Amino acid sequence: MMRTMISLLAVLTLWALPAIAQDRGPLRIEITEGVIEPLPYAVPDFVADGSEAQDMARDLSRVIAADLSGTGLFREISQDAHIGRVTSFESPVEYADWRAVNAEALITGKVRFEGSDRMVVQFRIHDVFAGDELGDGLQFSGTRDGWRRIAHKVADEVYSRITGEDGYFDSRVVFVSESGPKDQRAKRLAIMDYDGENVQYLTDSSSIVLAPRFSATGDRVLYTSYESGSPRIYVLDVANVGRRVLPTLEGSMSFAPRFAPDGRAVVYSLTQGGNTDLYRMNIDSGDSTRLTSAPSIETAPSYSPDGNRIVFESDRSGTPQLYIMRADGGEAERISFGQGRYGTPVWSPRGDLIAFTKQSGGRFHIGVMRTDGSEERLLTASFLDEGPTWAPNGRVIMFTRETRGAEGQSRVYSVDISGRNLKQVDTPGGASDPSWGPLQR
Amino acid sequence: MNTGQIISGTGHLALIGWALFGGSFQSAPPPFEVVQATTVSESEFAAIMDRAETPDAVANVDTPDPPEEGETAPQETPEAEQPAESDPAPAPEDPAPPEQPEAEEMAPDQPAPPEDTALMVPEVAPRPQQRPAPRVAPESAPEPEPDTRVDDETQPEVTPDEGADTAEEPSEATAPEEAAREIVTEAEESDEAQQAAPPAAVRPRQRPDRPDPPSEVAQAPSDPEPEQDPEPQSEPEPEPEPEPRQQSSDRAAIDDALAAALGEAQQDTERPSGPPLTGGERDALRVAVQRCWNVGSLSTEALRTTVVVAVSMTENGRPEIDTIRLVGSSGGGDAAAKQAFDAARRAIIRCGNDGFDLPAEKYDQWRDIEMTFNPESMRIR
Repeated sequence: MMRTMISLLAVLTLWALPAIAQDRGPLRIEITEGVIEPLPYAVPDFVADGSEAQDMARDLSRVIAADLSGTGLFREISQDAHIGRVTSFESPVEYADWRAVNAEALITGKVRFEGSDRMVVQFRIHDVFAGDELGDGLQFSGTRDGWRRIAHKVADEVYSRITGEDGYFDSRVVFVSESGPKDQRAKRLAIMDYDGENVQYLTDSSSIVLAPRFSATGDRVLYTSYESGSPRIYVLDVANVGRRVLPTLEGSMSFAPRFAPDGRAVVYSLTQGGNTDLYRMNIDSGDSTRLTSAPSIETAPSYSPDGNRIVFESDRSGTPQLYIMRADGGEAERISFGQGRYGTPVWSPRGDLIAFTKQSGGRFHIGVMRTDGSEERLLTASFLDEGPTWAPNGRVIMFTRETRGAEGQSRVYSVDISGRNLKQVDTPGGASDPSWGPLQR
Repeated sequence: MNTGQIISGTGHLALIGWALFGGSFQSAPPPFEVVQATTVSESEFAAIMDRAETPDAVANVDTPDPPEEGETAPQETPEAEQPAESDPAPAPEDPAPPEQPEAEEMAPDQPAPPEDTALMVPEVAPRPQQRPAPRVAPESAPEPEPDTRVDDETQPEVTPDEGADTAEEPSEATAPEEAAREIVTEAEESDEAQQAAPPAAVRPRQRPDRPDPPSEVAQAPSDPEPEQDPEPQSEPEPEPEPEPRQQSSDRAAIDDALAAALGEAQQDTERPSGPPLTGGERDALRVAVQRCWNVGSLSTEALRTTVVVAVSMTENGRPEIDTIRLVGSSGGGDAAAKQAFDAARRAIIRCGNDGFDLPAEKYDQWRDIEMTFNPESMRIR
């Protein structure tokens, strides 16, 4: 009996040993709920190498801060609250000073002029709480009058290293600049930095222009103009503002053009005999291929980033809805099934979402949905929102918002795809129909 | 009968009598609840049931806003229709597609209810909606007063009182930063504003006419079929007895193993480890870390990445920064895992800067911690 008891005790002890050993492992907890708030960062004025670079150093840091804070993902710690001072770019950073003001990221930099026209900007990004640099230091150089682009590039690098996504600050937007009252509004093509700076006009206001669209490389712009009396599609070279009209069938109207991702073809709408269908044109040869053949209205086509599919708007079901088909035509699949009217779909550069305009309940919305039509989310609501366009990183959408009444004006707004950070883009006068170009090289 | 028996009998009788008539076996009457009841006839009951089955159409109809006087809402049009508004000089043929057919999916116009008809309005209160706030956190918090310092705890401002016996240290008022539990878009905010106030007061419901008695009487449900008796389970067969072994050698082996194991355990328990952390203590640590886990600047791919982060702690509850390391990740690539790990590390360092509130006597239990940061519920939806 005693032997049996001892054996049993020994077996039990051996059986319990793994459990004892496991109990001595690390404490394990799971965190499933966090907070979503802008990441606090500090960007003290860059160090000026020479007194003549003093103003430039300050201006650079202010543009970088405006870029980062403008995303809604970052919050600048005011320079008034800084305890630490960065007087030398080469000296080690006193991280404790920046921890004390709760800055999680710190951007330090130095600027110097080389000759009369060139400038060099060096910068570092610091993870304050890790007490270390976030990647290697970098250097950009360029002309003095291109200083804003250098600042945008620094901000893009910071954004990219912290979020893991590409930035979108060094990019441009082509849009329709509007002036005059609603019934006599003059419209002309214009191009600007993403933040509304450096506006340049590409056409005069002698004829109506519509729906400009950037190519994937940002070197050309497609748009519709009434210059010849009826709507025709033009392609404009951004570098020299040279332009040419694309050939079209006699007695037809062509509009709503958009480049294929490879830039060699254009998909557009053509109305002939009262019917509107989608066509694809080879830009070099001018040959067009019909993609849809239905008695309904097919318009607003937009390519997927890989160029294999096209999303477009059609009223074949009775109301304007969104459809997807292969890039060479064929059977189309409806993807929007919500209540209301859907239009102006645009495929995200990431390929995962489609932005659209929706009219429902007497209001207009900008929304996004997955490419199979699921997970529809409305991001905005107003008297008139329309014409979304994606930031090159697929994180932000720009669109036109028009206010009510005879004095109502069109303005360009932007919103994060989460629905946060809705804000107006500063433009001189009215602006509509934005098309966001790629990151500049 | 002797005296003892008499006394005993008398005593027992007295006790039994007291128990019976003194109230020991009588419980207090249970409290009763008064319920207002109204008698309804069979026809009235049938009418109520009919009404309950009517589909709730009113609540789901997308009712358009009435247009303001003299103002017409713009219609969404294909891009080619836009020039029509400016009426250009060449007067080109309108490129717009022909007149768009009426929407099939659009809700029909909501007919105005007649004077003596009331709208059906659900009596349940609508789910409270969040206001947009710059911070999204597990617990919502109202916007603090303008002069209030942001802090985790709420405390009123303390000013020195000259007449007081004991001098109180002055401190400024603190309150948590404004936060919402979820992201609120402009579209949702507008819906809330639309739902906040009905366009007109709802008239009381008119008493329904007495319906006709039902022509058919519902049949009583047929008796359910008796369940079949489960089949008797076969009795388990007795396990064969193990064969006898040579116990002396086994015992020696067991003794050796036991001694070795106990020896190890004794070495491990040289410093007191204390009992394991309670659920509350673990929760407190989890809450303390998640308060600083900011995923607002993470990419969408990093928001799909779960990372396991290990950290060693000092005895005063502070994380040893150099020991924070990525143990594993799932759901995203290396770049996304790095972003997710950076955010997790910041959370551990920031909120552990002053030391986590952990029981010192159980230090051995929390000296090494593995935290799994799972952002599944924080993704953009």
